[in-house]
Amino acid sequence: MSALAHHFRVWAASARYSLTRALMFRGDFVIWSLVELFWMGVNLLLVEVIYRHTDSIAGWSRPEMLLLLGTSLLIQRLLMGFFWSGLYDLGRNVRNGHLDFFLAQPGSVMFMVSTRKLDPDGLVNSVVALGLVVYAAGELGLRPSPGQLALYAVLVGCGLVIHYSVLMLSTASVFWLTSAQGVEGGYFSLIEFSRMPREAFRGAAEVIFVWLLPVVVVSNAPARVLLHGFEPAWALGLAGFAALWLGLAVFVFHRGLRRYASASS
Amino acid sequence: MLRAAGKYRQAFLLGLQGSLVYRWNFAVRGFFSLFHLAAVFILWGAAFAGREQVGGFDLRQTLTYFTTILFLQFLISAFNEDYQISEEIRQGLINQFLLKPINYFLYRLSIFAAARLVSGALILLPLAVAYPFIHEALSFPSEPWRLAAAVPALFLSALVQFTIAYCFGLMTFWFLEIQGLVVLSMAVEAVLGGQIFPLDLLPPALHAVARFLPFYYQMYFPAAILTGRIGPTETAEGLALQAGWVVLLLLLAHALWVRGLRRHTAVGG
Repeated sequence: MSALAHHFRVWAASARYSLTRALMFRGDFVIWSLVELFWMGVNLLLVEVIYRHTDSIAGWSRPEMLLLLGTSLLIQRLLMGFFWSGLYDLGRNVRNGHLDFFLAQPGSVMFMVSTRKLDPDGLVNSVVALGLVVYAAGELGLRPSPGQLALYAVLVGCGLVIHYSVLMLSTASVFWLTSAQGVEGGYFSLIEFSRMPREAFRGAAEVIFVWLLPVVVVSNAPARVLLHGFEPAWALGLAGFAALWLGLAVFVFHRGLRRYASASS
Repeated sequence: MLRAAGKYRQAFLLGLQGSLVYRWNFAVRGFFSLFHLAAVFILWGAAFAGREQVGGFDLRQTLTYFTTILFLQFLISAFNEDYQISEEIRQGLINQFLLKPINYFLYRLSIFAAARLVSGALILLPLAVAYPFIHEALSFPSEPWRLAAAVPALFLSALVQFTIAYCFGLMTFWFLEIQGLVVLSMAVEAVLGGQIFPLDLLPPALHAVARFLPFYYQMYFPAAILTGRIGPTETAEGLALQAGWVVLLLLLAHALWVRGLRRHTAVGG
């Protein structure tokens, strides 16, 4: 418990530092908030353009699709807010030897690497994504119970764990490759599937993206809680996937860390 | 003239070596892009369910368009050239070019050409792996004029792509940090360049406006020629507009370089 409290205190200090930094570089904060907002707009535009020409995608109506998109973006924005900068820097730090700094810190290296920076712009846009979910729920006339809302929050948390794990697995490849540039893009490629309804996947795609990789359930499970209430298979499936993928990310990161040979002269 | 060409040939060869160091990154990136292609096939397959056409094109034509876009992304698009130029300015590495008889634009263009040659060749690997699974979903038009028109269109598209990235890189003369602006413009370029959806699916008024913007000529235009989304008249008009944008962007790049250098301070020795 004291180790947990210790790590929480370290995280709180990092968060305070990141917020202070954001206040110092307000222009940067505004630009990066706009960047994320624009990219969210791109996804929204894709949905709007497709629904200009069709009424349904795999049986999902436009507002249902917006609910799914909002949920997917919410999880992704939370990842951007809490973990992206740290993991993005990991690639560079391994290459130039700055990871030494993290190895010398009093705590889990993986935790220190992941939580060093907080991005307030990502967190601001998670509110926008949540706004999209609320808008879509309103369009659908949904009135979720407090239990449904609590379960939605828990499943969004599980989704965040899975996103983090997939990104960590992509980035940790830098321990084996000269550079993780481009490889990190693997995360973005996979996360595209989280914006699509599970019913769109058939045959081999269903096996790979629904059952082997957790990229579809990650957003479909929470969205379905709001649409259809508690479905044990979806909720427990997502929680199981979260535990499994986090375990895999921890294992791969620590295997990679053993290969790290620093770069100082 | 030949001596000048020799300088940029050497820069090209250096760029080739530099890109080959990261061949695995390009290759892995190429294989990951197959996931993007899979996502596109699944999404548009679901959107087309129960209907013959969307926006006047059938499913095979639409999937052919996205496959072509993927190939073009590796063949002609700027990856991180803006960032590299920005770093050279920020770190003062650009100073060495100011003292040598070398044109910085042509030097960077030579490196860009080398990098795209490597990435364009490497994307063929994952596409070859995917081909047995996707070839039945593809349908390219057979008119020979399309290939003839696509060659200059691709060349000009690469110039548009590179020159926009070059201009963003030069913004570092005015702003310390340009990465935010670059990623912001990437979102605009992705949409108006037709990478997210074919631009002909936009409402007609928006599509008409998009035709006059440079982004249209970054990716959508050559892809639309190759996949049969535009006819000969629109192609001829497009080539003229594209050439016009290349000239305008080259002038802008030159103006930014000249004015930027006036602000530049070289420190150290």
